[in-house]
Amino acid sequence: MLVVHGGWVAGAGRPGRLIIWAEDPALPPSSASRARIRPHPFAAPAEALRQVVPGAESGSLTLTLPGTGRGPLPSPETGVEPATRGIKLGTWTVPALSVPGDEAMAVLGELADPDPEGPWLAGPSLRYLTLLAGYACDLARRGRMLPQLTVEARMPTARWRPVLTGGDTATFRDFAAGMPPVVRAAGDGQAVGRVLRDALESLLDSAARATLPERLMVGQRPGLKSALPDRWLAALTGADPALPGAADADVRDLRRALDDWMRAANDAHGPIRVSFRLFEPAPEAPPGEDGWSLEFALQSAEDPGLYLPAADLWEGARFPGLPRRPDETLLAGLGRAVRLFPLLHVALLEQRPAAMPLTTGEAYDFLRQAAPLLQAAGFGVQLPSWAGRKAVGLKLTTRSKSKAGTSRAVADSGFGLSELVDFRLDLVIGDGVVTAEELAELARLKVPLVRVRGQWVELDARQLKAALKAVGERREGQLTAGELLQQVVDGGEEDLPLVEVDADGDLGDLLSGQAAERLSPLPTPAGFQGALRPYQERGLSWLHFLSRLGLGGILADDMGLGKTAQTLSLLLTDEGSRSLLICPMSLVSNWHKEAGRFAPGLRVYVHHGATRMRGPEFDEAVAGADLVITTYGTALRDLETLRGVTWSRVVCDEAQAIKNSGTRQSQAVRAIPARTRLALTGTPVENHLAELWSIMDFCNPGLLGPAKRFRRRFQEPIESRQDEDATAALKRATGPFVLRRLKTDKSIISDLPEKNEMKVWCSLTPEQATLYQAVVEDMMAEIESTEGIQRRGNVLAAMMKLKQVCNHPAHLLKDGSRLPGRSGKLARLEELADEIVEDSDKALVFTQYAEWGTLLQPYLAAHTDRPVLWLHGGLSKARRDELVERFQTSDEPMLFLLSLKAAGTGLNLTAANHVVHFDRWWNPAVEDQATDRAFRIGQSRDVQVRKFICTGTLEEKIDAMIERKKALASSVVGTGEEWITDLSTDQLRELFSLDPAAVR
Amino acid sequence: MPFDRSGQFYEAARPIEVDGGLSVRSKRGKIGEQWWSRKFVDVLEGVCDPGRLARGRAYARKGQVMDFALKPGRVLARVQGSRPKPYEVTVRITAFDDARWADVIDALAARALYRAALLAGEMPHEIVDLFTELGLPLFPEQLDIACSCPDWGVPCKHGSAVLYVLAEAFDDDPFLVLGWRGRGRDELLDALRGTPEPEETVDPLAVDEEPLDGRLADFYSPGISLGRLRERPPRGGLPPELLLRALDPPAIRVRHVPLVDVLRPVYRDLGAAEE
Repeated sequence: MLVVHGGWVAGAGRPGRLIIWAEDPALPPSSASRARIRPHPFAAPAEALRQVVPGAESGSLTLTLPGTGRGPLPSPETGVEPATRGIKLGTWTVPALSVPGDEAMAVLGELADPDPEGPWLAGPSLRYLTLLAGYACDLARRGRMLPQLTVEARMPTARWRPVLTGGDTATFRDFAAGMPPVVRAAGDGQAVGRVLRDALESLLDSAARATLPERLMVGQRPGLKSALPDRWLAALTGADPALPGAADADVRDLRRALDDWMRAANDAHGPIRVSFRLFEPAPEAPPGEDGWSLEFALQSAEDPGLYLPAADLWEGARFPGLPRRPDETLLAGLGRAVRLFPLLHVALLEQRPAAMPLTTGEAYDFLRQAAPLLQAAGFGVQLPSWAGRKAVGLKLTTRSKSKAGTSRAVADSGFGLSELVDFRLDLVIGDGVVTAEELAELARLKVPLVRVRGQWVELDARQLKAALKAVGERREGQLTAGELLQQVVDGGEEDLPLVEVDADGDLGDLLSGQAAERLSPLPTPAGFQGALRPYQERGLSWLHFLSRLGLGGILADDMGLGKTAQTLSLLLTDEGSRSLLICPMSLVSNWHKEAGRFAPGLRVYVHHGATRMRGPEFDEAVAGADLVITTYGTALRDLETLRGVTWSRVVCDEAQAIKNSGTRQSQAVRAIPARTRLALTGTPVENHLAELWSIMDFCNPGLLGPAKRFRRRFQEPIESRQDEDATAALKRATGPFVLRRLKTDKSIISDLPEKNEMKVWCSLTPEQATLYQAVVEDMMAEIESTEGIQRRGNVLAAMMKLKQVCNHPAHLLKDGSRLPGRSGKLARLEELADEIVEDSDKALVFTQYAEWGTLLQPYLAAHTDRPVLWLHGGLSKARRDELVERFQTSDEPMLFLLSLKAAGTGLNLTAANHVVHFDRWWNPAVEDQATDRAFRIGQSRDVQVRKFICTGTLEEKIDAMIERKKALASSVVGTGEEWITDLSTDQLRELFSLDPAAVR
Repeated sequence: MPFDRSGQFYEAARPIEVDGGLSVRSKRGKIGEQWWSRKFVDVLEGVCDPGRLARGRAYARKGQVMDFALKPGRVLARVQGSRPKPYEVTVRITAFDDARWADVIDALAARALYRAALLAGEMPHEIVDLFTELGLPLFPEQLDIACSCPDWGVPCKHGSAVLYVLAEAFDDDPFLVLGWRGRGRDELLDALRGTPEPEETVDPLAVDEEPLDGRLADFYSPGISLGRLRERPPRGGLPPELLLRALDPPAIRVRHVPLVDVLRPVYRDLGAAEE
């Protein structure tokens, strides 16, 4: 399998080039040559590269790479164990594809998403360049570019160039700091800034051309004799950017004008910007009186807290980082701002402008028109907190008729969605309710900014119209609880949103979005083995409450808080029900195991795998089950069968799987009818609004309305403008159906143990199972035919091989084959890593096999796109300290892979709040010692410890032995794995044999 | 009919082509876009006969004006005619003396507007009005144009070609007019602010350079994780045509349409391409 690398060669006076080369780990790692410039021994030949990028020009390229005297250092992605001593830079030649800058965007686009089954994988350098290409597209779509006239190899050329200002300069610097050194390794190595600028310019030019229409101007295409600007404009989107034969003077004129334009664009976004702050009239000012004030100031663009009002500036005040002539910065900024806010002209008639008074009408114009423009043009703008908020809205008040308002015994309150409830709708402006007469008076005044009950509000004409219309409609009476729920979820009209809800009784509990806190907790159901923690009991009563109302819910508790236990306890509360649980394949074993542990009374049928039941057999199995577990894939394949069953409940675990409502899988899941639905997810749904809609629509079909309305009403305002009103409205609409507790919540922490140990049950893939069987047969034959020391050796070898199979087929085979989709444990680790990263957490992952860590590290790094550190015995002390330091101090989520042997003692890794034991050591003391790297005095967060165990394999059996003998652990199993070698052959056969249920 | 200074008829030959001459951008219609340069053109067009004007425009468009040098009170230009030796054209106006400039600077300093405009590269009407109020009109009512050519019509086509070229130069840099009157932009701003001070410039895109051998242990890995690079803050909500709106538009026209007007609708649609 090839590891493909990308690089960039900056061009001198002409566009640079993208270079593509690859390592082939199958080739010999060292070179016999002693020349200063030698061929790279394991670089893939040009023919292999041309299969990656067909049609590209190939040649030989000199690279400066780290290595030893014998050969270059292989990249981590090759999975080859690198040398760690005597590393220095050397010069190597590689076969490489060389792609002209103009074509780089297209080539990177094709390489962006390599087929995971294909013959090559993308190294971080190539993925980095792809990311840079994506950034170039982003800049183009945001219009952060200007057309320019450049001279490339003495040829005038029409080019688009990026305008990097404000936040984009920070992004540029991040890309510089993030550039893998190999990207700039061509020749003797090139400077970061030059390579980055050159690559970004080329990519942006391509992005612009791809985004813009084919022609910017209609009419005849300019010919060679046309005026230069005309030809230049056509070349900006034409196939050929070159402008041959242009007169020097024309080129000079056009360039000068365009250069000035670019310079002005960059100057407008210096580190110090001019800032405007609007002050409302003093509260004691009589209503209707003007008296607004607009203050000018200088402000640091990076640290807006550095703020100097112009009045102080004129008095001589300064803050660090100001230019030498801050007064000129202020004046030049005001001079530019006049274009966007012409009224500013008045202030500039003074010698030392510091602020200007505004009338109410002018203040409104500033708020509505100038402020967003100024802000967008790089000026600072500070508005009163009420600005931009929807001022006019509706308040819904409901009063239930039942007298259950005081009692919270939900189970018997009999509240249902068909219950009739009194309701009233009031108009709210600002924070206060207004009467129809007051509204009419406000409308008559026709002022866009009014003070209502002491608070200023913006009265937009459209809103006012909507409000006047609403006054004429029915505003009180009776509706069912279900109808009112729908109204709250709808959130009113866009111009007249629902801004406040006051409801009592059970409906109030539901609408508050805090039902879990307000309901009286249900006791742990009788059939539940073990104790629910207090927050889990609250979760159970919430689930039960929704379920009883026939509503669906999303249980989105942080990972490790026991969504499984809460769900299983819910299943135990309604007897005679039948639930279908759909989860990713990697979780089937775990659900099966956990159901057996927490709810042994539940009859479980696992519907999955090639041997799953069909026809009457299936019907019978389902009839005898309380819980049917299946996978998303099987649900899609067996949709017709599953639809035929009457389900009380459909539960989707890892509901991100149905985040995209358009996929066949999520449509299949939706198509299975059920009385209620439940979605379980550990990722913060509120951060992914499209996902939230999709999952909500699964739980409560149709309740949130069509996706299009959701996008317009919530997603766009929140994602593009961080609109607070829309955020509040969304919370009100979805709050009743989402329960998310964080492990950092105070009330949760007090319920949690300091160290939360979990066993994670994984299944084998069919490939793993076949290999496992083969190893067992092979090794049992060896063991039977040997004795004494040899037999002991064979037993230990058998154990090692079986554990390697449980980890991954590639771990046993050591054939450099690819990793995804072949191991149950790895699939589980990928999912966990995603959640850990999503929660901004850090994790330690222990393995006892260094060769497995070496394979896992680059794979996980590529999978998560986050740092994955790898500490093993081959590292120098200094390098280890460096890794530990990085892990402890970085604010980024990351994984730390550790070899159990190398990291057993002496390290302090308290930044981690997750520990994963990928394979087992069979010695609790060693595992505990490793776990304690994270769990130490000074650890203020709770640590979740997960031990991966493959069901049906020796891992499960040995785990059971350890559990049985835990009391004697130190004496019997505490000495490691030696005790197993003393077992009889029959006992060993029993221990190693594969339980057929293990294969999923 | 063209006559030379001695009253003799001479034949108007084709002028010799100039390589790298100062040809004006405007290929048709009016020359001089900004109101201040129109002022010059108006003065010129008021005194010159239409035939010479047309030929002067043609000269200016063809790039017959080889160069010009602007000094206080005087513009000296070379124009390539039909004879091998270029003609010399001198355009004179009265430069203000130091005392008059001192008055102007006092008046300019009284209002932030002027400094703000001058710093932003603009020449608002108010500045011209201020000169007029002080009895020092910035734009001359009359132009003293002299040319070394045989044509004794004043101004001749060479003179009018120079004025057209000047008008366009003023479009690009209105401060040339002030310079002609005796104070360049920098001098003027220095005078307004008291003491001139050089401003050090910091390149916001300067990045830390690290030699390759500082990264031997993680040569193939990103220095900042790709996940973090991907986490760019959302910068939605800003109109994509903002750059075009917020900046002074360049004086570039494509088939008579200002460049910015051509670009604005396509920029506006850039964001939509995301869908």
